[in-house]
Amino acid sequence: MELRFFIIRRLLLIIPTLIGLTIIVFVLMWSLPHTFLASAFINPKAPNRAQQIINAENALGLNQGIVLGYLHYLGNTFTGNWGYMTLSNPIKYSGTVLSGIGLFFPNTIQLVIFAAVLSILISIPLGTYIGARPNSLADHLGRIFSLSFYAIPVFVLAIVFQVIFGQGVIAGNPLGIFPISGTFTITSQIAISPPSWLISGVGGVVLSKPTHLIVFDALIAGDYSLASNAFMHLVLPVLVLTLSLLAGILRFLRASMVDAANSEYVKTARSKGVPEGKVIKLHMRRNALIPTVTVLGLLFASLLGGVVLIEDVFDYPGIGYLALSTILSGSIFGVLGTTFLFGIVLISANLLVDIAYAILDPRIRY
Amino acid sequence: MYSIQNLEDKESKEEAKEEDAYLKVTDLVTNFYTSRGIVKALDKISFSINKGEIFGMVGESGCGKSVTALSIMDLVPDPPGRVVSGKVEIDGFNIFSDLANIVRIRIKSQTDVKVKRNKRALKKHNFMLSKIRGKKAGMIFQEPSLSLNPVLRAGEQITENILIHNKKPIADSLINRANLSLDDLKHLVEEVQKNKENVRSILNEWCRSNALVDLETQINSIFRNYSDPAEIESEIVSLIKAGLTSVDKRSLIEARDYYSYIEKAENLQLSLYAAEEGSDRELISSIEKELEQLRLKEGTRYRFYSIKRIFTGRKVERVFKAEAERRAKEILSLVSLPDPERIMRSFPHELSGGMQQRVMIAIALASDPKLLIADEPTTALDVTTQAQILRLLRNLNKLVGASILFITHDLAVIAEMCHRVAVMYAGNIVEVGEVLEIFDSPKHPYTVGLLGAIPTTQAKTDAGVNMHTIPGSVPNLITPPSGCRFHPRCSFVMPVCSQSKPKLVELETGRKVACFLYSSEVDD
Repeated sequence: MELRFFIIRRLLLIIPTLIGLTIIVFVLMWSLPHTFLASAFINPKAPNRAQQIINAENALGLNQGIVLGYLHYLGNTFTGNWGYMTLSNPIKYSGTVLSGIGLFFPNTIQLVIFAAVLSILISIPLGTYIGARPNSLADHLGRIFSLSFYAIPVFVLAIVFQVIFGQGVIAGNPLGIFPISGTFTITSQIAISPPSWLISGVGGVVLSKPTHLIVFDALIAGDYSLASNAFMHLVLPVLVLTLSLLAGILRFLRASMVDAANSEYVKTARSKGVPEGKVIKLHMRRNALIPTVTVLGLLFASLLGGVVLIEDVFDYPGIGYLALSTILSGSIFGVLGTTFLFGIVLISANLLVDIAYAILDPRIRY
Repeated sequence: MYSIQNLEDKESKEEAKEEDAYLKVTDLVTNFYTSRGIVKALDKISFSINKGEIFGMVGESGCGKSVTALSIMDLVPDPPGRVVSGKVEIDGFNIFSDLANIVRIRIKSQTDVKVKRNKRALKKHNFMLSKIRGKKAGMIFQEPSLSLNPVLRAGEQITENILIHNKKPIADSLINRANLSLDDLKHLVEEVQKNKENVRSILNEWCRSNALVDLETQINSIFRNYSDPAEIESEIVSLIKAGLTSVDKRSLIEARDYYSYIEKAENLQLSLYAAEEGSDRELISSIEKELEQLRLKEGTRYRFYSIKRIFTGRKVERVFKAEAERRAKEILSLVSLPDPERIMRSFPHELSGGMQQRVMIAIALASDPKLLIADEPTTALDVTTQAQILRLLRNLNKLVGASILFITHDLAVIAEMCHRVAVMYAGNIVEVGEVLEIFDSPKHPYTVGLLGAIPTTQAKTDAGVNMHTIPGSVPNLITPPSGCRFHPRCSFVMPVCSQSKPKLVELETGRKVACFLYSSEVDD
């Protein structure tokens, strides 16, 4: 089967997966007391509360049985009516779930993309290098490095990095140059007269427009000192996330490089007179990437878990921080909304991994 | 690209002399340094393969046949294996000339061996090997499904070999084609029309005079398939000028000059390595001087070109690739694969076992090597495919004129295929000779036992007759038996056998045996 048919089929397969996801989230919701659901669904500030609750019961289909209830849930999900959430701890926010996600999600995307790109850019050449030289000094160092960072939980790593590199954590530490919390430093000047592109007042978090990413928004607005300040805030969370992801990829790539080196087709390549560099890059690495990419899907799932922890440690206003707030504030629709979002992210990551897998390995066309 | 040799050539090969040896292995020792001890896999084996000869190598599993094949190409997995000493001369060039510089082996105890590799010498060694492997000797492995790279198309794997070793010949051929005038072609078509019986010889002469020998078979098939002269002409033009329209002649010539400089420099480098083995200082310094002069005179010119190539060389490279693909298709039809077009585009898993092995053979033959090392090429195939592959190899031996080192444990296959055969036992060659002689009158007790162990229908029908076996089992090569390694299993064992190792001595012309029954010469 040709590659593009595979990709089309794989894209179509998303539909049943998404339906499965909605069923799971719906069942989680439906198992809760219905009156509680109805009262959590509405805007708490709305007048005429009693009428609003009755409206919410109708909107959620709470009194129409589980099947119609599910259909109502589907309708609400796809029309963008994800309910209200009122958060108090640690983020202070009140509004619809969807707009809350819209505010916080870009920051997480920024974090994850930086970490993923950096770790892939570093780990693939490094893994190729050490995998082609098993039991050399470089290999031993690489293995110690990757095993340690693979084994240390990200939140421990985050706290250790905050202590070592954090600004003002240890007095007089020459390495302590990176801020340890938030996305930028709120100076008194900004606090008194915030520039028009900063949206303040969304809870304890200051957000920006149009992209919601402070670094880019500051660059767009031409405030370079603020941009560099925001960039410094990004360094530590990205570094921690990169290291944990890098360690995982490195370990698997190294192992599959060693596997490939012992294979018959590498012997064939050498018997043809292919120069050693090309044997490593074309014949060994091309095959070693296949198992590594498979593992990448799993690593990505653990990365999402890591994001929640890292955003909490660094007070970074991303989706993980939001998810934590919804739990701590007991906002049921916030929890359901972020759960659904995490599901979608994981599904799309797996889609990308599967497509990459099929491109790399011609044998995979099921 | 292959000229069909006269069949009479083959007959004369029967009386080939020692000087005709294409591959000469002398006192080759290969050890494996494992945690359980040193496995002495090859114990000073010597043999030679003449030009155009099929040389069989037979023995039980674990006797060192495959290690021999791998050692010849220095492909023994390292670590743990290592060629320790000896010479392997392929076409007169000893690939282990710098062996002493590459590795230093310090043996503290049987299980504690330090192998120290000299990176610089190893780099030099690998460069040298990459010029020998594929070009002078190709290799076919046992498991075709594992030996082909699963993620590359069959075509890519063949053209890779062609492009590594044949850049200059391809450039030459492309320039010749660009130079060809259409009048010449018209003339050829007219001549063939006039003289239809003699198409082949006319064509041969024409191709030769225009230096287009590598296109001969394809032009020939065009003449066979089309009858209308105008059609023939347009077909030939599209064959000859294929891809040439996209690139101008000047850049082709530039590329040709560059590659011929590279080839010249590499050849000088190789002959320098060969000279370094001997202690002829004068020769070494003269080659060194020549190389330096070449680099001074021409190298500076091409330093710029190698940078320019990165930016503008794409077009030329594409034409090169197209030509390599054409050659690959030709080789695929040479190994009798139908529909080369489709095979080129297939991935290995889309081909059957027999087809995969044919593709392997095509890869090995891609750069026209004069030696083919076949390491049990039919073991993993079913019987009918086996027969086809064997016939193919035998035909290729005649057609291409390549010698074959044929390794197998199947005596029937040896009898079918080979001119001469060596019998191996526990890392030693115990007997060498013409196939018929060895089968008719085996000398070494092991050969006698081996031939006796071939199952026959008689053993089944004659009640009470058991199948003949050699008593005992293959020795552990970490602690091989003293003296003759076969003596614990030999029924003619004498006291001397356990004390010293018999030498492989020539009994009659071309017949060598290592056994104290025939000669008392001792190998030290």
